[in-house]
Amino acid sequence: MDIDLGPEAARFRQSMREWIAGNAPDGLATLTDWNVTGMTGGNPVNAEAERSPLYAEWERRLRAANLICAWWPEKFGGRGLTPVQHAIFTEELSRAGLPYVRRGFGEAMVGPSIMAHGTPEQQEYFLPRIISAEDVYCQGFSEPNHGSDLAGVQTKAVLDGDELVITGQKVWTSAWYRANMIFILCRTDPDAPKHRGLSYVLVPFLDNNILARPLKQMTGAAEFGEEFFDGARAPLFNVIGGLNNGWRVAMTTLGFERGGGVSTAYLRYEKQFWDLVELARKVGRERDPVVRQELAWAYSHVQIMRFTGLRALARLASGQEPGPEASTTKLFWSEYERRLGEIAADLLGAEGMIRPAGDGYPISPWQEVFLASRAGTIYSGTSEIQRNIIAERALGLPRAGSAS
Amino acid sequence: MTALVFTPEHDELRRSVRRFLEAKSPSAAVRALMADETGYDTEVWKQMANQLGLQGIAIPERFGGSGFSFVELAIVLEETGRGLVPAPYLSSVVMAGYAILDSGDESAAADLLPGIADGSRVATLAFTEDSGRWEPDAITMPATADGDRWLLNGAKSYVVDGHIADLLVVAAETAAGLSLFAVDPATPGITRSLLPTLDQTRKLARITFDDVPARLIGTPGGAVATLPRTLDKVALALAAEQVGGTQRVLDMAVEYAKVRHQFDRPVGSFQAIKHKAADMLARLESARSAAYYGAWAVATDSDEVPTVASLAKAYCSDAFFFAAAENIQIHGGVGFTWEHDAHLYFKRAKSTQLFLGDTPYHREQLAQRIGI
Repeated sequence: MDIDLGPEAARFRQSMREWIAGNAPDGLATLTDWNVTGMTGGNPVNAEAERSPLYAEWERRLRAANLICAWWPEKFGGRGLTPVQHAIFTEELSRAGLPYVRRGFGEAMVGPSIMAHGTPEQQEYFLPRIISAEDVYCQGFSEPNHGSDLAGVQTKAVLDGDELVITGQKVWTSAWYRANMIFILCRTDPDAPKHRGLSYVLVPFLDNNILARPLKQMTGAAEFGEEFFDGARAPLFNVIGGLNNGWRVAMTTLGFERGGGVSTAYLRYEKQFWDLVELARKVGRERDPVVRQELAWAYSHVQIMRFTGLRALARLASGQEPGPEASTTKLFWSEYERRLGEIAADLLGAEGMIRPAGDGYPISPWQEVFLASRAGTIYSGTSEIQRNIIAERALGLPRAGSAS
Repeated sequence: MTALVFTPEHDELRRSVRRFLEAKSPSAAVRALMADETGYDTEVWKQMANQLGLQGIAIPERFGGSGFSFVELAIVLEETGRGLVPAPYLSSVVMAGYAILDSGDESAAADLLPGIADGSRVATLAFTEDSGRWEPDAITMPATADGDRWLLNGAKSYVVDGHIADLLVVAAETAAGLSLFAVDPATPGITRSLLPTLDQTRKLARITFDDVPARLIGTPGGAVATLPRTLDKVALALAAEQVGGTQRVLDMAVEYAKVRHQFDRPVGSFQAIKHKAADMLARLESARSAAYYGAWAVATDSDEVPTVASLAKAYCSDAFFFAAAENIQIHGGVGFTWEHDAHLYFKRAKSTQLFLGDTPYHREQLAQRIGI
């Protein structure tokens, strides 16, 4: 079913199609299935393909056309794509089987925070470095004693001349090993109320008295790190939004960041579903009525992700604000994938108890899905926090302990 | 018409239908009709037709309707589901209406649809039998050729509004295969009995046929291809009703959770209650996605209709039942009373979950339809 997004959108789609056709390096699309995203064995699934010279050439061409961070405003180096255009851009890349080149946390979180709260000088300095990937950011938010309760973080920063000196510990920092910068929330006013004593600081990650260690997770890999700050330094210039304004900066969400992937995010789950069907066939259980029920359940959920994405896109296109369906997205996919992992683990049967041979703790792809999916309901807001937020914001139920 | 976006006209349709139903079919009226054998208010039914044109909304203009699509029909169904409106709308407009329309028999459509469209005729589809099975393959009732007429013998059950309908569309087996027939229930040889139902807002009947002459709709064996398509639309119609009911019970639960105080605070401020409500909303929105996508799929004659119909029937049924159950739980003791409306939705949810095939049935159907 096609959502009619209007003639302007149709023209934009056509222009994107033409640009892609004219600029996609030969052989890039067939290098790997770029629609499949996620991690395996501690690395992004397409890590190897991303090292190919074809990918590098593609990246160069995208940059030259301002199609890296394309949804950023033009004055900040993007193409100023509207949410609908961003959705179309993502769709067309997906249709052509090409990778969407993203700049990780820099594109999704740091850049928007700087755009909303940074000074013109900070914008001029930091934003181009995100687009060029000169700066690759990892996130320093969670601490061993503060995960869900982010506002309570204790890593402290003390002013020394025109620098902050930072002491503390951060944990669950994904892709720390690829980063040269870490953006942190730290306490710069211990006497202020919890939410008002925090600062949002861009900290050089390398050679800066930060000891970073891999955090081994139950899949055997170490996609996350923990960092010990022992007098790490950051210039005041790197404080975004001013001292003690960090909470507001961290909570920044920009209206124009919606749209990307809204109608394509389900694709990796669709591929995963058909892989699961293949597994059921391989173990000879595709005629088992219970297995068939579970497969139909899984298919239903993937399709509902697609339908909900299309609803969201249609709302964007008609200029409407996102509806309540937007607040349940993370809850939906993470709890789906957790159950999907269990179905897969059960299909493996006795063999599911055995791992592949090899050094370390190698696991099979389905064992990876089974184990890794336990994290999905925890990171980026646990399922419990998501439910609280939905109940309070979407349904207006009163916060805990309130008498009204 | 752009898919998945409701226009201002759609919103106005929804508002006027809701206003009408809240005024004409409030809870007290629903309860009175639950106890009434006919089960619907003939005056309100007439007004639905004359004031709002609801019965004819998706019937083609050439057959006396307004010629709108399944999307507009789904809006009406969502509102009737929200209000548990006791009216033979599903039976007459959706089940019988589409059975006739889908048959492709222009002559039968021209004869029978205008009465359905203006509400003067209440029709229903009789296809399930005492076996309680829902697949067209399970239909065994024979229709035997007798010269240029057909004779029906046997029994149909679980016929929605079967006891008061003035037109029965009956599915029966001929030598050529499954076929559809139109029968006047006043014909000698027919007996009808009202079945006492768990959900008293929707009446079901058992009907027996003893050498009853019937008019063929379409061709002999034609229903093999068309009845499954009709049932897909009925499934999506039910899904729309269920979305309306799910929203209503969520609203009920949230409202109660805000005003009911225990331990000096609203019960809705406790996390256990919040999480139930959040789960209800999450399932409601997913059910909405499935039901709306299905409505647009029918409206655009998409080849996705069969898979979306199975998917939506299963998902929306489970979502409605879950929400209706949690609504009772959130209400505590009062949710268990006859006096409170929570049980009405709970019973409608269970009944619609069972009607037309339960969730495992539709999941298996979905598995087959996607080629597993």
